[in-house]
Amino acid sequence: MPIEFTLNRQPVTAADDKADMPLLWFVREDLRLKGTKFGCGIGQCGACTVLANGNAVRSCVMRLADAKGMSITTIEGLASDERRLHPVQEAWIEIDVPQCGYCQSGQILSAVALLARTPNPTDADIDAAMTNICRCGTYLRIRKAVKAAALLNRTSKL
Amino acid sequence: MRPQAIVRPLDRRAFLKVSVSAAGALLVTIPLPPRSLSAATRAAEVASSWCVYLTLHPDNTAVLMSPVMEMGQFMRTTGPMILADEMDLDWSLVTVTRDEPVRMIRNAKGEVDYQFGQASAGGSQTVRNNWDYMRQAGATVRRMLIEEAAARWEVAADTLIARDSFVIDPAGDRRISYGELAGKAARRQVRPEQIKLKQRADYRIMGKDAGVADIRDIVMGKPLFGIDEDYPNALQAVIERAPALHAEIASYNKDAALAVHGVRQIIELPRKVEDHWPGGDAQVLAAGIAVLADSLWAAMQGRKALQAQWKNAATDDSTLQIQEFHRQVAGNGETKKLVNEGDVDAAFATADLVLDHSYEKPLFAHACMEPFNCIADIRGDGATIITGHQVPHWVAREVELISGIDALKVKVICKRMGGGFGRRGELDYVREAVTLSHRTKRPVKVTWTREDEIQRDFFDAAAVMRVRAALKDKRIIAWHHRQAQTRGQPEASSYFPAKVVSNYRVDQFASTSNIPCGPWRAPTMLQWAFATESMLDELAHAAGEDPLDFRLQWLLPYKEYPIENWATKSIHSGRMAACYEAAARLADWRRPRTKGTGLGIAGHFTFGTYAACVLEVSVSDDNELKLLRAWGAIDCGFAINPNHIRSQMEGGFVDGLNAALFNDVRVSEGRVVNDNFSSLRWIRLREAPLSIEVAILDSGYPPTGVGEPPLAPAGAALANAIFAACGKRVRRMPIADSFKI
Repeated sequence: MPIEFTLNRQPVTAADDKADMPLLWFVREDLRLKGTKFGCGIGQCGACTVLANGNAVRSCVMRLADAKGMSITTIEGLASDERRLHPVQEAWIEIDVPQCGYCQSGQILSAVALLARTPNPTDADIDAAMTNICRCGTYLRIRKAVKAAALLNRTSKL
Repeated sequence: MRPQAIVRPLDRRAFLKVSVSAAGALLVTIPLPPRSLSAATRAAEVASSWCVYLTLHPDNTAVLMSPVMEMGQFMRTTGPMILADEMDLDWSLVTVTRDEPVRMIRNAKGEVDYQFGQASAGGSQTVRNNWDYMRQAGATVRRMLIEEAAARWEVAADTLIARDSFVIDPAGDRRISYGELAGKAARRQVRPEQIKLKQRADYRIMGKDAGVADIRDIVMGKPLFGIDEDYPNALQAVIERAPALHAEIASYNKDAALAVHGVRQIIELPRKVEDHWPGGDAQVLAAGIAVLADSLWAAMQGRKALQAQWKNAATDDSTLQIQEFHRQVAGNGETKKLVNEGDVDAAFATADLVLDHSYEKPLFAHACMEPFNCIADIRGDGATIITGHQVPHWVAREVELISGIDALKVKVICKRMGGGFGRRGELDYVREAVTLSHRTKRPVKVTWTREDEIQRDFFDAAAVMRVRAALKDKRIIAWHHRQAQTRGQPEASSYFPAKVVSNYRVDQFASTSNIPCGPWRAPTMLQWAFATESMLDELAHAAGEDPLDFRLQWLLPYKEYPIENWATKSIHSGRMAACYEAAARLADWRRPRTKGTGLGIAGHFTFGTYAACVLEVSVSDDNELKLLRAWGAIDCGFAINPNHIRSQMEGGFVDGLNAALFNDVRVSEGRVVNDNFSSLRWIRLREAPLSIEVAILDSGYPPTGVGEPPLAPAGAALANAIFAACGKRVRRMPIADSFKI
């Protein structure tokens, strides 16, 4: 039976012989969505982070079969359109977080998941949730941007 | 202290060239001076080739090209800022092109070289290499636009000013846009003496915070990197490489790999050994078995099916090698003298106190976040290479060497790099893709895994550094640094204590390891600063002096000393001292900290730039280490983009902390033991300091690089802070081995 799930609000179908393929490679190679990055292949670095039913998951260790019926969001689906970015993306721009930029899709999606669960995160919350590796060491700006995004969320809800 | 800027004028007439693009935009191009005399001799041949730096559209928007590859060092922002400021462009109207093929020529010696500018990225050189060049280009275009407006209004050019992409006539209260002027300005010739560079006080873009040129595309996950590229009809290749150094193929199951759906071909790749920086023969390509398939996933499955076996591996063991380094520096074996100034032995004989300690560092991995990849399309009449590489003209040269195709017929498209750190100056992944495309006569994309990347790294050398230092009347009168290392040698006469300690000796033992090394960030800088700045701290405490005061005193008199170094021609003790002072001031250095908390200070001179950092840590009674806050100061001459200088200070210091705490590759039986982030620990957000406050010192000097200079002080700052917090002296990296973190 084909594997069906939702990706960036669109229905997606994969052949069942791809059940063991990691979601990362299906997204990058079959769907040609390149924003989800390959970093380590063992669920450590988080460059491949996507949202699965709103939770941040490492897509390099998520079998396609396990995505069945889920709602998956990749970085390409985060903003409703290019002129209206998600508040976390806006905060990333405001704080000017990236250096090389490779890990930032995953960092942003991890932050989205954190803020959905914890709208006003403490430093300890950020420490616990933001476990993705940034090889350039932009962690200070990531922390600032998570807080800036929390503030943006609050102001936009007023 | 403010030196005169040295400006080399354009050596031949310069003029704009304009053509009209299909979209009606005006393409303004400017010839720039050839990079070398040898290139000048071929000026006639290149005169018809124009270096496209900008397009001025009729709506007054401007599109600029970055002169240098981007790997997170911000040159796609900094380079255009330099050009745009000299041109007096409105920065909000500027965008930066990408994926331009790198323009190359063959110099008089027949070598492949860049046609214009210096496109390589490395050694924190790019700002320095392009500073004069980009300003000259911008000032030339500005003058042409002004002269065109002057002709139109029939006024003297010198009565007009340029501002925010307009030429303005203050007397006539009128203005005209660059976009409108560009077409006619094209035919103007400007005399070199009319081209005047702006004074710093007149900069409107430089000196102010600017953000990353590509930030919207980055946060939207656009395909900016080589690994994101698809190429028509390309075979996807992964390569099972010999896991141990120098091993050869013993056997593998070709049929099983070919049986995987989508796998097309299996090709053996030979091992390659050649002389390799920092010296000595090294394995630069592992023996490998390439699996080529219709999809990357199929190629990966085919690779697993190979079940490759290997033979004749080297048996290097990095732990045993480090133990041997300790034995060497403790003994009196034959060494090579790198520096021997003054009378070191006589000075030691008169000392009040001699300290003698050894400092250890392991192999560091690069771990570029984006695993290596390269698309090669080698055809009969030319070639296309798409990859991220720090030295693109080497890529073209390599295609010529492997395939025989004229390097000038190789289109090299350099993508944004997911980290470089020196590792993307190596050619292995390019050679593999070029060889496979040449063999299969098809486009091939090679993709590495993380394990491939760490196993086949060219590491930063492991080293043991024994430092003996002599104190007399609380002053350092002699210094002897003796080291043994995997490969390479320190630039011992190019950083302190060179010049400031008159009796100064550096010697080292010859290297015998098979483990390949290569440029890792600023090679040898972090290890040198770890040994030197740790010893300075130990000396300060032994003398009963404050570590900051001790350093400031040590560097007296404050003056500039000439040095012989590939990256810079002088070192200034006063600029270093100013960085220590500024970082300490930010840290409120003299305020006592509570028990278990301490401050450590360290600094280093890297590639012409000075940086110092103060780190605050706590060490609990049960040995738990926490990095709390940090403060840094940098003197990189004129600060072109303060925002990105701060960003590099933050990132470089964090990576330096990672190196000191965790980065520790171990080789056993010739193969890397810890080849992914599960076994090679890497710093995460929770371990980094909560804040890093940065002072940028304006010494008035021309700008120098900021990519690497923040890195080196981190290891010693951490060791010194730990000592201040708990009294325990750490002389061995990885420091995380000694604490709970």
